[in-house]
Amino acid sequence: MVLDRDFNYVAVNAAYEAATLRPRAELIGRNLFDLFPNPGEGGRQLRQSFDRVFATGKADTLAYIPYDIPRPAELGGGMEQRFWTAVHTPLRDEAGAVAWVVQNTVDVTDMVRLREAASLPFRAGATQLLERAREAEHQHRALIEESADFRRLFQQAPGFFAVLSGPEHVFTFTNDAYLRLIGGRSVIGMPIRTALPDIAGQGFYEMLDGVYQTGTPTGGEAMRVVLQRHPDEAPREVFLDFSYDAIRDGEGKITGVFVQGMDRTEAVRTQQRQRLLLDELNHRVKNTLATVQSIASQTLRAATDLASGRADFEARIIALSKAHNLLSAREWTSAQLAEIVEQELAAYDRGRFSAGGPDVTLSSKASIALALVIHELSTNAAKYGALSTPQGFVTLAWHLDEAEDGRLVIEWSERGGPPAQPPGKRGFGSRMINSVVLGELGGEFDSAYEAAGFSCRIAVPRDSIVPKHGHE
Amino acid sequence: MSDETLPAGLAIFVVEDEALVALNLEAMLEDIGCRVIGPAMRFERAEQMMHEGLAADAAILDVNIGGRQVFDLARGLARRGIPIVFATGYGRDGMPGEWLDRPILQKPYVEREVRKALREAMAARQG
Repeated sequence: MVLDRDFNYVAVNAAYEAATLRPRAELIGRNLFDLFPNPGEGGRQLRQSFDRVFATGKADTLAYIPYDIPRPAELGGGMEQRFWTAVHTPLRDEAGAVAWVVQNTVDVTDMVRLREAASLPFRAGATQLLERAREAEHQHRALIEESADFRRLFQQAPGFFAVLSGPEHVFTFTNDAYLRLIGGRSVIGMPIRTALPDIAGQGFYEMLDGVYQTGTPTGGEAMRVVLQRHPDEAPREVFLDFSYDAIRDGEGKITGVFVQGMDRTEAVRTQQRQRLLLDELNHRVKNTLATVQSIASQTLRAATDLASGRADFEARIIALSKAHNLLSAREWTSAQLAEIVEQELAAYDRGRFSAGGPDVTLSSKASIALALVIHELSTNAAKYGALSTPQGFVTLAWHLDEAEDGRLVIEWSERGGPPAQPPGKRGFGSRMINSVVLGELGGEFDSAYEAAGFSCRIAVPRDSIVPKHGHE
Repeated sequence: MSDETLPAGLAIFVVEDEALVALNLEAMLEDIGCRVIGPAMRFERAEQMMHEGLAADAAILDVNIGGRQVFDLARGLARRGIPIVFATGYGRDGMPGEWLDRPILQKPYVEREVRKALREAMAARQG
């Protein structure tokens, strides 16, 4: 017989008419549970079996089901005790949805009674045989559910699983994670060398052969695999933890290989990124230490005594450190020239300075370089120049020289102090300024030591300037 | 003759993008008795000096010059038979295999290490 989703009869055959003691006309279009109500265990089992078929689209078997049916009035009325086995098979509509269920049922009442009578003559009612049949049905049901649960667990597990059968490693099971790994290719029923030709030459076929032949498990940690789903697609690098284990039958003979593992690509990438960051940090620290080493060494070489050497060294380290502060405020990309100037002049009486110019954003390299240069200029002004007397005054002005490709020009002029004397030997300050401006920044440095005071002009090419947003 | 010594008056081509580090290396080299060519602190300048012809007995190259790797320049110098010493904050781990047989100075370095690296670089060329 055939039922629709509401359990109404759609079709019945003669055997079913005979078994239910009902003619076809009384069945078609009527509801099974209206005609054969069963509030007990049998009714519950039958309904659950139908529900499973409609929910899963898969056939369902009831090995044993007690289901009494009402006897028609002309046959005496009342209920008749019956036992059945039934196979329920889905029928799909044109759209592919399960619309009906076909029941192929056999009335096993007589057989049950016969066996009952022959083997267990002393027991009445529910016999031991029936108990066993019922147990068998329960176990069968539990096994199906358990194996479905396991299948679901394997299917949805975060790790990847595949089962390969035979010496050619034919795919018989792949879970969701495995399919994601191989890019959703359909591989069931295919030998691995045909299914995944992209992993040829990476040693995996050979490892599988080995496991199949020897039974010795094998595997790898964070092993690099290059996958290419289609020949016209870019190869993709993944890193896997995996193991291959032999599958054996009841006699211990190897029948296949169980593949399981985890895609560790993200973890490996994260590790690589961290490695890069650490390397970069190490690089910066070492370079900064090399700069500090140079400042120490050059300062001590030029120092006339330990106390002044120490003071000069500390002041230079502080200037370097302050420039780092400005840079780290902007993720180490740039700093404003005005900020650098103000920060350096903060150590002095600001009333003795005039400083200004347009907004200029400097690259990180130029920021450090010019911070150190301005530090040397202001230190020299305080020691020997305009700031060494109560009246002296310093003018610091900058502009972008459009005639020269927009390069930065900084002019420093000291007035009101003692006449400027060229340094007798080239001290660290002037050597450093020359080296930074000419060598490192590729610019120009001109200085004048006049009776009116010291003045200089620093020109820095445009590549030290970070372009403003919205321009260029 | 101690194995710490170098021939006097060697001409060393220095490429280093940090002015202060370059200054210090220059001072060390002068103390050792070498003559400094450069220092070139910008990549273009270093390339230009190489193409103009260098009478250098050896070169000390910072690996990272203003964000650019120095290896193209190093190949040019190697073709000219100039012994090379690399200087880098990354240390040996950051070096490509191609150059691992060259002496590597990890920053910060001291004069003794500079002397040793130069001696190794020049011995390798003679050998």
